[in-house]
Amino acid sequence: MEFNVPSSAYVHIPFCRRRCFYCDFPVSVVGDQRNGNNSGTIVHYVEILCNEIRLTENLGQPLKTIFLGGGTPSLLSVGQLSQILDTLNRQFGILSDAEISMEIDPGTFDLAQIQGYRSSGVNRVSLGVQAFQSELLTACGRTHRVEDVYHSIDLIHQADVSNFSLDLISGLPKQTIAQWQDSLDKAISLSPNHISVYDLTIEPMTPFGKQYQPGATPLPTDEATADMYRRAQSILTSAGYEHYEISNYARSGFQCHHNRVYWKNRSFYGFGMGATSYIGGDRVARPRKTREYYEWVEEKITNEGKRISYQNPDPSDVFLDTLMVGLRLAEGLSLSQLVQQFGQERIAELWTCLQPYQKVGWVEFSSADYPTLAGSNLPEGHIRLTDPEGFLFSNVILVKLFETFDQ
Amino acid sequence: MTDVPVSRIRNFSIIAHIDHGKSTLADRLLQATGTVDAREMKEQFLDNMDLERERGITIKLQAARMDYTAKDGQNYVLNLIDTPGHVDFSYEVSRSLAACEGALLVVDASQGVEAQTLANVYLALENNLEIIPVLNKIDLPGAEPDRVKQEIEEIVGLDCSNAILASAKEGRGVPEILEEIVRLVPPPANTVDQPLRALIFDSYYDPYRGVIVYFRLMDGRLKQGDKVRLMASGKEFVIDELGVLSPTQVKVDDLHAGEVGYLAASIKAVEDARVGDTITLANKPATEALPGYIEAKPMVFCGMFPIDADQFPELREALERLKLNDAALHYEPETSSAMGFGFRCGFLGLLHMEIVQERLEREYNLDLIITAPSVVYQVTTLKGDVIYIDNPSKLPDPQQREKIEEPYVQLDIITPETYVGTLMELCQTRRGIFKDMKYLTPGRTTLIYEMPLAEVVTDFFDLMKSRSRGYASMEYQLIGYRENFLVKLDIMINGDPVDPLATIVHRDKAYAVGRALTEKLKELIPRHQFKIPIQAAIGSKVIASEHISAIRKDVLAKCYGGDISRKKKLLQKQAKGKKRMKSIGTVDVPQEAFMAVLRITQD
Repeated sequence: MEFNVPSSAYVHIPFCRRRCFYCDFPVSVVGDQRNGNNSGTIVHYVEILCNEIRLTENLGQPLKTIFLGGGTPSLLSVGQLSQILDTLNRQFGILSDAEISMEIDPGTFDLAQIQGYRSSGVNRVSLGVQAFQSELLTACGRTHRVEDVYHSIDLIHQADVSNFSLDLISGLPKQTIAQWQDSLDKAISLSPNHISVYDLTIEPMTPFGKQYQPGATPLPTDEATADMYRRAQSILTSAGYEHYEISNYARSGFQCHHNRVYWKNRSFYGFGMGATSYIGGDRVARPRKTREYYEWVEEKITNEGKRISYQNPDPSDVFLDTLMVGLRLAEGLSLSQLVQQFGQERIAELWTCLQPYQKVGWVEFSSADYPTLAGSNLPEGHIRLTDPEGFLFSNVILVKLFETFDQ
Repeated sequence: MTDVPVSRIRNFSIIAHIDHGKSTLADRLLQATGTVDAREMKEQFLDNMDLERERGITIKLQAARMDYTAKDGQNYVLNLIDTPGHVDFSYEVSRSLAACEGALLVVDASQGVEAQTLANVYLALENNLEIIPVLNKIDLPGAEPDRVKQEIEEIVGLDCSNAILASAKEGRGVPEILEEIVRLVPPPANTVDQPLRALIFDSYYDPYRGVIVYFRLMDGRLKQGDKVRLMASGKEFVIDELGVLSPTQVKVDDLHAGEVGYLAASIKAVEDARVGDTITLANKPATEALPGYIEAKPMVFCGMFPIDADQFPELREALERLKLNDAALHYEPETSSAMGFGFRCGFLGLLHMEIVQERLEREYNLDLIITAPSVVYQVTTLKGDVIYIDNPSKLPDPQQREKIEEPYVQLDIITPETYVGTLMELCQTRRGIFKDMKYLTPGRTTLIYEMPLAEVVTDFFDLMKSRSRGYASMEYQLIGYRENFLVKLDIMINGDPVDPLATIVHRDKAYAVGRALTEKLKELIPRHQFKIPIQAAIGSKVIASEHISAIRKDVLAKCYGGDISRKKKLLQKQAKGKKRMKSIGTVDVPQEAFMAVLRITQD
């Protein structure tokens, strides 16, 4: 198996003013006083984070994409942000045309801040809007109001960050189809380059998980959320957005390059509490609690000089990972590449396995009339899930693939 | 081995309820007589099977020979013949009791007599055994030896003035027990000169030596090389190996009346040397076999199907192997349109069924679908033929039958008074007919009911235990067949009748069972991409129906770098669960759904 050298880095900023009711991400709640009492906590975290970056071996490729996710990265001061980017640049090098994305939340930043982020190198921001109805925002524990969204968009424009994305959530408690449609329309009117729409997942260890039963009131029915999914697809694609991944839409040329790295199952560095790195088939998850993360970095410091040897990944594991993330993309997976990577026999089995789903219209082959691949009855071209039906039932197909290929 | 005259042999068994300390006491006896030294002592030496040790119950009985020098200075041979402690094996119990002259009645001094113990004591009395009462666990703070003595005297009618107070755990009372065995248990009759008769009380299959037969010599002598005949099966064998159990097998050249031993004679399956059969000499046979032999008949049947059809030959082979060692196990091929190829298997009772099922899964690594247990119904057709139906789906149509009769048992429950009400209520919901209620001692009661066996082999035992917080115990025996207004309840999933889910129920309960069953199945069967109707029907009339709505979506909205491992685990778990389901048409049905009828609440 070829060793795929990472040229992407994910950086986790765990701080949030409070925890949203649906969120099970590794976050550290710091309350409302920005740059007040909690600034010490953040300063300390950034120190440790930069230590971790400096202790990570440069495998030889400069960074093409960086993604600062959270948490709420916009709780960082401009100085803290540039400290992180500087450290990354010194350790790995950042290409001049690299995509540097940052998640920001309405009501957590002012003009000076976003201008500062921009001049430090951030060239893409993703605004956590979630909904355009204040009552829905309150109901899911968000700290911002609809006015904050519009204000944030103004600031983004003033700071001249033309490349921005909006996040929306469907399936919130008491959310109606009409409200969803309204959110989609308002999102489009703000003219972002990129829109992510997430169907709410009820995670067991969250307030929602303890309060609600998926599919039961006050949550919309599965039927309603499936309808919301289909509406997003039809409204956004008619507005000129390409549905390039299960939950992501972009104008031509504005897909998120960083996230595509995940979906192509390529290597990436990961830094910070709860972050996962994936290098040469080796997935390493950092501890999801602050103290444990600090200890983890401490241990790394003690063992300095020892090189991490990247294990040879189990090919059947890599195969399933490749399918699991690759089928999220509208373009799907290239059959010839799959054959090259995993061998003719396995791909033939995959082909057989997917036939029934092709019949019901959940799977399609981009080019069934192309000449077949040499020595097989597999066509050239891509294998992919259909939009929206195949996407909506993607787990059914994945479970089948795990049943077949997971030993 | 020391050779002792018949007058100094004592053959005895131990009668005790599960948990009353039988195995611990047996261990102590083995230690006290130096039969097993402390070093090689495993806890509960007699319980050989893992399953027995895990559950603390004895399934297959064993025997042990102990040399003992009594206070009178004489050497004695004490043969302990262990009995299985479960109602499914009461025939085996009766045969091992028939091989003894005495029995220790071990009762937990903090609990009292339980139903199963009582049944076995009666068996012992029928066999004219001398019974020595032992009150065990007197070290426990809750021990009430006087109350329990009174209880034994009243229920069993046994004089307890000389009952031994013991604590097997602490070794208390063990010397007294040994002395009392010598003093009270009569020696075997000295019939050494009569033609050979030996009673088989256990046998098991050994892959190298063939069946190993455990027996008690009632009359005559037996030596290695003798050609023997089994009087019930009529088969003849030459003895390759003869020995005693000490408690491991020790070879000897010959044995005489009164002694307990084992033999190997290249016998191919335990079927050929069944418990209760009489061994005699081929060239000098006894005129009459020992009394009491019956061929154990299965009472409970179920279907066993491999989840993966490819495992069918392995299942067949595993059953063949188990059968070598288990004469009571019956099986024959069964084909079901829903389930494919499998076997219809017959068992002595629910525990027997569970044991076989667990061995198949544990020792033979098979993934099985087991259908709900059924009893054997006796159906008279309009033509006057009588047929036996052990599989509900094979019940003839109503137009072809004159009547259906079902097996009834007498059920004895012993319970603390407090639970009488709730247990009577339970019996009534299970079509029980109240026969009698006796107050044994203050606070303890016996309830006697007649009840269809079919009602007992569901979850009755579990419910009795939970309603009485574990304090009630039960025992039942077959009392015959009775006619009832029974109907076949068919279950249809997605329009297709599913044979293994068919049950035979009383007409009056059919609606309630049908409703509960369809509801339970709705709960157990996962949602599919299409709507699945689930119906219960009598003949062509649907009496209950539910449906499982189609899934509308199944998608992971977010799957980023950090999430992949967690989401992957989720998918792996689902895939694993799906692999263990059986496809019925286009519907994946989980294993537990086939037992759904046992899990519905009928009250």
